[in-house]
Amino acid sequence: MNQMAHPNSDQRQPMLKVSHLTHRVSLETDTLTILQGVNLEINRGESVAIVGRSGSGKTTLLGLLAGLDTPSEGKVELDGSVISDLSEDARAQLRARRVGFVFQSFQLLPALTALENVMLPLELAGIEQPEARARELLERVGLGERLGHTPRQLSGGEQQRVAIARAFASDPVVLFADEPTGNLDNRTGQSVSDLLMALNREQGTTLVMVTHDEQLAARCGRQFHIEAGELTEPGSAREAAD
Amino acid sequence: MVAAEKLMSVRRDWRERDVRVVLVALIIAVATVATIALFASQLQRTLVTSASSFLAADRQLEAENGREIPPEWMHEATRRGLETGRMIEFSTMVFGTGGFQLVSVKAVSDEYPLRGEIEFQASPDGTRTLASGGPAPGEVWINPRLLRLLELEIGDSLDVGSRSLTVSGLLIREPDGGFRLSALAPRVMMHVDDVPSTGVIQEGSRVEYVYLFAGEEPVLDEYHEWLKPQLHPSHEWEGVRDGETFSRSLQRAERFLLLGGSLAVLLASVAVAVASRQYSLSQRDTVALLKTLGLNGAGIGRLYLRRLGLWGLAGVVGGLLVALPLFWLLTRILSDVLERPVDFYLDPAALAPALLTALVSLFAFAYPPIRRLRQVPAMRVLRSQPGESGREAIPDIVVAILAVFGLVWLYAGELVLVVSLLGGLVLLLAVLGLVGWALMALLRHVKGGGSAWRLALVGLYRHRRASLSQMAVFSMTLMLAATLVLVRSSLLDDWQAQLPEDTPNHFLINISPGSVEEVSEYWQENGQPLSQLYPMVRGRLTELNGRPVKEAVSKDERINALNRELNLTWMASLPADNEIIEGAWFKEGQTEGVSVESQLAGRLGLQIGDRLTFTIGSAKVTEPVTSIRTVQWDSMKPNFYMAFPPNGGLTDMPATWITSFYLPDQGKQALNEFSRRFPTISVLEIDHIIERIQLIVGQVTRAIEAILALILAAALVVMAAVVSATLKDRQREGALLRTLGGRQSLLVRSTMMEFALLGGFAGLIGVAAAEAAVWALQYGMFEGSFQWHWPIVISVPLVSAMVLALFGRWQLGPVLNVSPMLLLRRLE
Ligand SMILES: Nc1ncnc2c1ncn2[C@@H]1O[C@H](COP(=O)(O)OP(=O)(O)OP(=O)(O)O)[C@@H](O)[C@H]1O
Ligand SMILES: [Mg+2]
Repeated sequence: MNQMAHPNSDQRQPMLKVSHLTHRVSLETDTLTILQGVNLEINRGESVAIVGRSGSGKTTLLGLLAGLDTPSEGKVELDGSVISDLSEDARAQLRARRVGFVFQSFQLLPALTALENVMLPLELAGIEQPEARARELLERVGLGERLGHTPRQLSGGEQQRVAIARAFASDPVVLFADEPTGNLDNRTGQSVSDLLMALNREQGTTLVMVTHDEQLAARCGRQFHIEAGELTEPGSAREAAD
Repeated sequence: MVAAEKLMSVRRDWRERDVRVVLVALIIAVATVATIALFASQLQRTLVTSASSFLAADRQLEAENGREIPPEWMHEATRRGLETGRMIEFSTMVFGTGGFQLVSVKAVSDEYPLRGEIEFQASPDGTRTLASGGPAPGEVWINPRLLRLLELEIGDSLDVGSRSLTVSGLLIREPDGGFRLSALAPRVMMHVDDVPSTGVIQEGSRVEYVYLFAGEEPVLDEYHEWLKPQLHPSHEWEGVRDGETFSRSLQRAERFLLLGGSLAVLLASVAVAVASRQYSLSQRDTVALLKTLGLNGAGIGRLYLRRLGLWGLAGVVGGLLVALPLFWLLTRILSDVLERPVDFYLDPAALAPALLTALVSLFAFAYPPIRRLRQVPAMRVLRSQPGESGREAIPDIVVAILAVFGLVWLYAGELVLVVSLLGGLVLLLAVLGLVGWALMALLRHVKGGGSAWRLALVGLYRHRRASLSQMAVFSMTLMLAATLVLVRSSLLDDWQAQLPEDTPNHFLINISPGSVEEVSEYWQENGQPLSQLYPMVRGRLTELNGRPVKEAVSKDERINALNRELNLTWMASLPADNEIIEGAWFKEGQTEGVSVESQLAGRLGLQIGDRLTFTIGSAKVTEPVTSIRTVQWDSMKPNFYMAFPPNGGLTDMPATWITSFYLPDQGKQALNEFSRRFPTISVLEIDHIIERIQLIVGQVTRAIEAILALILAAALVVMAAVVSATLKDRQREGALLRTLGGRQSLLVRSTMMEFALLGGFAGLIGVAAAEAAVWALQYGMFEGSFQWHWPIVISVPLVSAMVLALFGRWQLGPVLNVSPMLLLRRLE
């Protein structure tokens, strides 16, 4: 499972480059500034943690980085493409090939089995033999016996593992994880984060993760703090990255 | 639990989509059923009065013996509170400026008509108006043709016997001027008080005294009971005349409405069922939460029961608010059709089905899933529990189906209808199960991929539970709608076939054998060739197998045909619209036997081989029954109870000839000349009657179309309800697919294809089941033979595929134009 070669993936280029990112939403009465002048650069293969209080804008930032939303101001460059300038369809195509996402609340489709949930991104990317690949991944996350079960029949931790298998299915170059262990107990959280770090290492995926969990954050190469929409990088843990 | 109750307020409810769907379904259910039931009952009442207007009264007493009835009989009727009137009918010569003419006079009393109206025209180019009474003493109204024949003008005088009367108007149509061969010559209407002074009626003249009665049905029946022992055989008590094309059309329209109403009941219950099941599923989390807050099962039951009650009330009130204006509109159409005011009357009995529908659909469909809410474990709050397997819903479904068919039965009172529909539905479910199983077995092997087609097929398989249940509801809905469309078209075709453009609208009667050829030539020259002329011999049926016929037939059978002279004929070949149902038609050269009309044969209990004796003048003819045939009485062609073979029993009997033919408006000139050249031949103009029937059929058709539209709208709402039941899931899926990198166009195409497939299959199955139900209905309720209706068989699946594809597209709408981030946040 080697990383796919992309025409514009230059190994020296940063994976993610964010400049002057500002995001506002307009509410009924006024506008709310969620993110304010965020600058960020993340290299290939790095693992990065973003920590911050609830409501500080973590999920919003992650969504913008992954191209799930367009920022009000600023530029997001992912693997050489300025995604903040791309059309929705072009961003979708980019996501299909290069981005994986693990959501705070799993976001599995209740009607589909674990296997089918994992096959979904493979099918969308038009990858041959999606079933074999999906099986392999589910086995990797320890759910080889639960292929035919629907999310309702799985526990929270199991659901999150299916979500992780799905995120890795299409061989992403960058994986975004939004509090992957937030809904889980300590031990399950531990095994899920082990899994994430292992997959990050094995596949050379760049990992950007939001978490409350100090321990998990400490396992990442770099840590960022976000507070009231502003991002800071405390200390200089930079050298621990590679 | 004040807060909990607040949670349940109806205003809050309305903001919930699932509740809105339940309420809209209920409102449509109540509205359709109420409108149709009200209109059907209106039509029924109108039918009775319309039929009455064919008699100009509710009942007629005809004295054919040329004598007036004893005055006590009329006094007795008045004493019992009945309205009465009288008229005298006779034929005579009248004299005007341009010569003389044999006419048929109807002299009427002031009360005439007790029912219906006279259509009247003050001058040849004046407008037609409706009058509720006949001419005043000293005046006459005459047929427009007579005006031309006698070169009269309004205001001229016309001599009837020794009396000179002023022509004060033209008689266009009389309510009881139905199609009668006895009304041969042009009509003249005068006042009954002027009759003695004409001196026309003398001892032995051929006069018919007719007495009119109107009032409450029971009083009329009691009066008849009182009168019956005193009646002479020549007295004929006549009630509502059946077999009139007009009332038959309306009767069939009524049956159609009944069917439509039943289907509306079914559709509405399906909508309520789907919507409320969805609602109860969406309520599970709320219920679990309430339980953790300390509310027990009984409390929850009460809470939801009260809600159901409120919804029921809202549904009924809302439904009636929709139904009443619609009903009002339909009564306007009806009163246009009948050219007289139809009262806007809310029959309480007709409102009952609507209320019952609301109740039954709420309690048979909405209650069971909601009742099961009580068993939702509080644990659900902590950990999402497996949903209902659907198995526990099976007893509910059985109960619900029984309930709804009970409802239809109660509503339509037609076992055939219920059985046909139930049979159709069972067949449908069986086919659906089979097709669904096969389909899923096939789809299992489809591998997903980047193409929209493969994604659509995979989607169909992955959503198999939702797909199959949606397919069940769609095909059921489509079956019901298609059934209605099919029945409607066969109904309309029948009507059209019954009275085509060139329906004969003139009869020529009393053509002497010697002038048959000349008459044929005349019309040949004038561009209206006569298709067929029939000989006509008048005679009475007097003996059956050698016994006097009145003894041979049971007493309580009232058979008009035995009281008057029958029109007998001979013919070589069976008329195209007659059909032999027993025995065989005359072979070539056969001279023995007689063919009898089937209804009369039934009433007389005739069998093939029975010997009938007819008295014709002073001669007697006896022939065995060799065939029994059906007759299209409303074909506007000469029809006969008894047909003999050529050179058979009627040979050498005094015959005149009769024919009917179509004469367009511009042919009236030729008709006038014809009357002048053949003064002894009677011309019977029925073009006004036919025009009117065609008008009525047209209007009734429109009313039916309105009802059909209403029901199709209900069907669409049901489908929308079903689609929207999975709306949230589908949107979440769409949002997720987009975050996973699915392109919009791919998403749109695969979703539309998936829905189109679903719709196409549902359409195919629905249409097949509809054909089956129509096949059963054709035999049970409406006459006619069955055939495949290819245009519908093809178009229903196509249209349903298209409609569903659009529904699918509509569902995706919000997913496409919003950033996936926002969507996921919203759908959380
Ligand atoms: N579309 C929106 N409309 C209104 N408010 C929004 C919207 N998106 C985000 N917000 C608000 O912006 C703030 C940041 O939201 P975000 O979800 O990014 O927080 P978060 O850091 O992920 O919090 P948590 O740790 O609780 O998940 C919150 O106050 C949220 O309510
Ligand atoms: Mg968050």
